[in-house]
Amino acid sequence: MFKKILIANRGEIAVRVINTCREMGISSVAVYSDADRNALHVLKADQAVRLGGSPAAESYLNIDRIIEAARQAGAEAVHPGYGFLSENAEFAGRCGREGLVFIGPPADAIRMLGDKITARKTMIANNVPVVPGTFAAEADPDVLEKEAGRIGYPVLIKASAGGGGKGMRIVSAPEEFRDACISASSEASAAFGNGSVYIEKFLVKPRHIEFQILADTHGNIIHLFERECSIQRRHQKIIEESPSVALDDGLRKRMGEAAVAVASASGYVNAGTVEFLLDRDGGFYFLEVNTRLQVEHPVTEMVTGIDIVRQQIEIACGNPLPFRQDDIRSRGHAIECRIYAEDAENDFSPSPGTIGFLKEPSGPGIRHDSGIYAGFTVPMEYDPILAKLITHSGNRNECISRMVGALRDYALLGIKHSIPFLIDVLRSGAFADGDLCTDFIGRNFSEWKPARERVDDAFIAFLADELSGERETAASMFSDDGRSSPWRTLGNWRV
Amino acid sequence: MEYRLKIGDDTRTFTIDAGDEGRFGASCGEESYSVSCARVSSHHLSLDINGRRVNAFVIKDENGKTVLIDGTAYLVQDADRLELASSGGNRRDESPGEVTSPIPATVVAVRVAEGEPVKKNQPVIVVSAMKMEMTLKAPYDGVVKKINVVTGASVMPGSVLVDIEKSG
Repeated sequence: MFKKILIANRGEIAVRVINTCREMGISSVAVYSDADRNALHVLKADQAVRLGGSPAAESYLNIDRIIEAARQAGAEAVHPGYGFLSENAEFAGRCGREGLVFIGPPADAIRMLGDKITARKTMIANNVPVVPGTFAAEADPDVLEKEAGRIGYPVLIKASAGGGGKGMRIVSAPEEFRDACISASSEASAAFGNGSVYIEKFLVKPRHIEFQILADTHGNIIHLFERECSIQRRHQKIIEESPSVALDDGLRKRMGEAAVAVASASGYVNAGTVEFLLDRDGGFYFLEVNTRLQVEHPVTEMVTGIDIVRQQIEIACGNPLPFRQDDIRSRGHAIECRIYAEDAENDFSPSPGTIGFLKEPSGPGIRHDSGIYAGFTVPMEYDPILAKLITHSGNRNECISRMVGALRDYALLGIKHSIPFLIDVLRSGAFADGDLCTDFIGRNFSEWKPARERVDDAFIAFLADELSGERETAASMFSDDGRSSPWRTLGNWRV
Repeated sequence: MEYRLKIGDDTRTFTIDAGDEGRFGASCGEESYSVSCARVSSHHLSLDINGRRVNAFVIKDENGKTVLIDGTAYLVQDADRLELASSGGNRRDESPGEVTSPIPATVVAVRVAEGEPVKKNQPVIVVSAMKMEMTLKAPYDGVVKKINVVTGASVMPGSVLVDIEKSG
């Protein structure tokens, strides 16, 4: 087993990986940018190495610096987390050449699956159903517009090198196509350094269903059942759960087998996720493979009892999987809510700033994977995810109630965040009915404002706070430095 | 003692009758509240309001106080203080007439040129923060007088990125 692992990431996922390293008796090495000098993952790790300036290109995307940090710290392996370099074949290959174990799939598998078009072709060759669409990366909007006409509107424009909803646009009519195409391409170019896009038929009211897979170096491939991730805003998941109400045992079995076939066809090793769209008639279509640990992996951990990060490390070490497909059982129901620094009342616009107060919920079946603490300044340079709240319970209804209770108990002050929105989604009839689709938010929660049922209590609390006197605290001292004051003057400014 | 408080468009006047040890009475029109308050920590108040127990979390900023109850946040403002501030020449919530980024961000594209006429809501600048792009639009019809930023520049809220001279 490795003695020391470098975690080439930040925030909650770096903390998550550090925790498992600690349980396994492995030393952890954190890396950080200037903005993250005091970030939680840096505080928690056994060792920490500065990478460079705050922009990701100078730090978490800087391959040379990360390799140098690993060498300097004496790490044997690198865990890439999600985002940043996690799906970068060049980085995976470089680790190998430098004598470092990359905790993830082989560079070739990342390259093949990372190119969404090659991946689609491979799946078709292996009899895995895919969504109708184009098969060539294209940058010329004229060519794409013709293709869109052939496939039929509505169509979805996606970045060939993409993920996480970046460079993605839905186009419902031909006259909108050109502008959408240009802006998708520019966003893709900024995010991935590659402006090529492709188009797919846009399915109406589809569900997003994905299967967690584990593959070892001995040819064993299993799946850990599904996660339903249909609740998305801006094509990014915000609530995930397992199991999905849309799957019966037969469909689950067929989709699980397809997921394993996908992994097998791509020479996959380590943990990965095979994403499908599920239509209203039970037809499912391969979407893509995420060749990394997913943000939402905890829901699978809760229902299966398997620590996926531990399995990733064991697999990277060359150990065989300790279980077979038949050994895997799903117990109860788990839901994850992503806590983002964003303003749900204003189109989910990002809300960086300093956290003035934090009280995390706790109780049976409540898990909080967090990268923040009171006094921490959430940087503007990175993804706005702050933490993830996961609940586990005997069945879906209990699990929803548990999540609503936990979210109401969650006190996070100083920045705008998604908790009030998540509460309303979870309490909604549509969510309780399990009538989910990837445009659930747009259909049910456009123009959302919080219910604000406790105005009287809020007035009284203000008065009580005035009358009982305020005290300066260490946490509020942080927000008095010059650096963070612009966040605080932010108010309700909008252009 | 009186307080005039505001949540959104809802402004109410409360008359306070302060007691001992965190107790006070408050009345507003027909409503009256008997309150007992214990400060659990600097931002956490444990309240008893007419016999009902409420946990409230409070943080102060320049806009007022954000009160969090059961996961929902309320921005509570002192209406008198707000009026004082606005009459004192504080132009804090002025002109939506400026092209400025709502949050600290990086400029990724400038969509207009100096001297170019623009229509209201025409995209003029694209900025990026937390991996998301936001398009800043012209607040009114006009002519671009001056562009104050270049692609790649870091910008803060309040700084005017493009001067647009209003037409008509």
